[in-house]
Amino acid sequence: MNVEKNLQRNAGVNLGLSLVVTATTYAVAYSTHSFAGQVAGIFLWLGFLVGLVSWFHMRLEERERLESLELDELARSRGSGTLFTAGEGDSRQARGARELFERYFVPGFTLVLLLMQAVAGWWCLRWLSRVKEPPALAQPLVAMAILGLFALVLYLIGQFSSRLARLEQSRLLQPSASYVLLGAHVLALAVAGLALVLAGFSQVDYFLAQVFCGLLWLLALENLFSLMFEFYRPRVKGRPIRILYDSRLVGLISHPESVFTTVAHTLDYQFGFKVSETWFYQFLKRSMAWLTLSYLAILTASTCLVYVQPGEEALLERFGKPAPGREVLGPGFHAKLPWPIDQAYRYRTQEIQTFDVGFEHDEKDEHEAAVLWTVSHYKEELNLLVASRETAEIPAAPGSPGRKAPPVSLLSVGLPVQYQIHDLKAWAYNYSNAGELLKELATREVVRYLVGVDVNDIMSVGRFAAAEELQKRIQARADELKLGVRILFVGLQDVHPPVRVGAAYEKFVGAKQKREADILKAQAYAIRTNSLAIAAATTRRLRAAAESARRVTTAAATESLFTNQMAAYRASPDVYSERARLQTLSRYGQNARKIVRPATNAQETLQLNLEEKLREGVMAVPLPPLSPGK
Amino acid sequence: MKRNPITIAVGALLLTIFFLLLFLFQVRTTELAVVATFGRVTAHAGPGAHFRWPWPIQSVHKFDQRIHTFEGKLEQVLTSDANNLLIMVYVGWQINDPAVFLTRFNGSTNRAQDSLEGLIRNAYSGVVGKHPLTHFISTDEKQLKFVEIEQEMQARIQADCRALTNGLNIAFLGIKRLGLPESVTKLVFERMESEREVRVSEVKGDGERQASEIRSRADFASAKLLAEAEAEATKTQGEGEKIAAKSFEVFRQEPELAKLLLDLKALEQLLQERATLILHDDMAPLNILKSKEPAGPQK
Repeated sequence: MNVEKNLQRNAGVNLGLSLVVTATTYAVAYSTHSFAGQVAGIFLWLGFLVGLVSWFHMRLEERERLESLELDELARSRGSGTLFTAGEGDSRQARGARELFERYFVPGFTLVLLLMQAVAGWWCLRWLSRVKEPPALAQPLVAMAILGLFALVLYLIGQFSSRLARLEQSRLLQPSASYVLLGAHVLALAVAGLALVLAGFSQVDYFLAQVFCGLLWLLALENLFSLMFEFYRPRVKGRPIRILYDSRLVGLISHPESVFTTVAHTLDYQFGFKVSETWFYQFLKRSMAWLTLSYLAILTASTCLVYVQPGEEALLERFGKPAPGREVLGPGFHAKLPWPIDQAYRYRTQEIQTFDVGFEHDEKDEHEAAVLWTVSHYKEELNLLVASRETAEIPAAPGSPGRKAPPVSLLSVGLPVQYQIHDLKAWAYNYSNAGELLKELATREVVRYLVGVDVNDIMSVGRFAAAEELQKRIQARADELKLGVRILFVGLQDVHPPVRVGAAYEKFVGAKQKREADILKAQAYAIRTNSLAIAAATTRRLRAAAESARRVTTAAATESLFTNQMAAYRASPDVYSERARLQTLSRYGQNARKIVRPATNAQETLQLNLEEKLREGVMAVPLPPLSPGK
Repeated sequence: MKRNPITIAVGALLLTIFFLLLFLFQVRTTELAVVATFGRVTAHAGPGAHFRWPWPIQSVHKFDQRIHTFEGKLEQVLTSDANNLLIMVYVGWQINDPAVFLTRFNGSTNRAQDSLEGLIRNAYSGVVGKHPLTHFISTDEKQLKFVEIEQEMQARIQADCRALTNGLNIAFLGIKRLGLPESVTKLVFERMESEREVRVSEVKGDGERQASEIRSRADFASAKLLAEAEAEATKTQGEGEKIAAKSFEVFRQEPELAKLLLDLKALEQLLQERATLILHDDMAPLNILKSKEPAGPQK
């Protein structure tokens, strides 16, 4: 009776103390700006919740125990256990409540607990990732004192509760005790972290907070597996059921000295037989110290070798200074003194590295088939200012009275730059971020170049010259700043007007094409016209020549004919003349219509061709008097 | 009580490491370190391994002594000729006095860069406002003062750093970006479009003019060629006529016959067309149809 009371009182003390420590720890950590302290507050809060459920659980068991005593007493007083036993199932309400609690509430609470752990871990990591730089600690010594005191108190109470639970074999006090001890350890680590921050390791508190977040996720994962394995665990009658929210991981962290015991209990509980009694498990347990020491020795020995891969070079430093005579290591295996005496830093010096100026690649558009001026083809395209000889200004736009466009143009320029590190010491030792600086100065050179050239020049004839000039300038600037790089390639792959005016530029290109087409059409017309003219002139000339030749030839023939005819004529002029007339008449008058009219009486006209009727008046035509002899 | 030698070895090892960590510290060749004894800076440490008293007696603050690059914000400024300009610069800065840097910025590079941001903005307004737009952007190299402006800004920021004694040195400064505000950019786009329209009209007009010239020249050449051919043909024909005329001198020997032949030739031509011949019955050969005696009653 007293034992149960003691256990409940102890659980109650744990509960109250957890609540006070949780609230105070969070307030102190928040005011001190300690990340680890604030995350530690979450562990304490979870411990408080577990303690609360554990305390309630104990109250139920206590009620069940009292109920059982009362029923036993009642049975003894009546002297008839049989009669009572018949109705026992209905009368033991406390036991039913406890069984219902264990069947439904405990798994439900475990589920809520794991969700809280997972969400808290995720939320804290997100919060930490947004911190650019850990703020300076405020009153760290006061915080260390308060949190250190809490850690000590929690440790003492946790140890007491844990031993009490073990002595009294109380399965319900153990989870609460484990979480109190976990809280003590986490707070001690947070205090140590603050001390290290004061000692100069300013990032320790921040990293510790991240480790705590990881631990929260681990606890959530363990609870998830516990819930899943609970379904497949063999049920042995009479064997006590393990409380689901009693985390083995928390128990392990709370009692690091009992790691093997915890592991053995876990395996035994899960598989239902004594795994911990097998020879392999025993061997591991005996040799763990040797194995750990061997592992540490191998780990240290491994730091005495450095392997520089092909294409890489490494900087070797001894106590932070370049190792004399071995400052730069080439590819291959190299021996060195163990960490932290010698340290090697590897760089990919032979690799051709690339960065882009003027645009940012969009992975979505990597597979675009065509790159057009009128369509934005990068995630971000910068419109860079370019000088322009065309200084005409347009009138003020509506809505912005009085404002005029300055005599400059805008241009989208995409410039991939490829480089190689050729002086590793200069690259690594002169600048904190040499790669970023190279990009900055390349961008500067592009801007500097564009502000001094005409937009139309760079888009047409000056394109390749610009790429060459930019490569020279970037190299010169990199050499001036001792960056230790060799600029291998600068390509003006993308020089075009901004997307907004791309269509206007395309029109211009179209107009140039049209001009060429018009000229070509005119040239075709000229060629055709010229050819036709030449042909017509030639024809005219040849026809004239032919006509002339014909005239000459005909004249000669006529002359010859006349000479012959003249001989015949002179022989008998009348006969020749008559004969010639009659020959002509008979030869050529065959097809003519002929009318013979008497010389004396016109009414006796003889029509030789009757196919056509004579027109009236033909007969009235006066005929000339016939010459004698005709 | 029997001691496990492995446990002793591990313990000794851990103890050694612990003491080494407490009493020694390393500074890389890229770093500078400041040693503070009870909060006061008492020593500077260069690259190598160094002894220290453990915390809380001494604390060591290490800083990256390499040149850091910091990029200012894109800021709108006004040039001396009242043009709006967006400008962004990058600055190479270095810690030249780690003790001062520690006290001024609590050793934080982010705080130092926040402070630099203010100095850069100050330099924007102080330097850019003294220059017209043509000093930033011009096709005339003589007008451009790009590098001079960068140097002025660097000198201004360096002077501010000296005045503030913040332990920083400005190694270099470069203008990373020049731009125009959105409203001005819109106007520039409109002007660029108008320029293109002008160029389009020029090119189209030029094409039409050249085409017209080519056609006219072709027509001219054609007409000239034909005219020359016509003249040549006429001349050729004339020469033919001249030669032919010589043959006609033979006609003088017998003009009557020549005339007869020409008449007959003309008649020949006439009769080839559809013609009606009205002939005397007294004409040969029709006159043979008439008897020499008057016709008597038929027997």
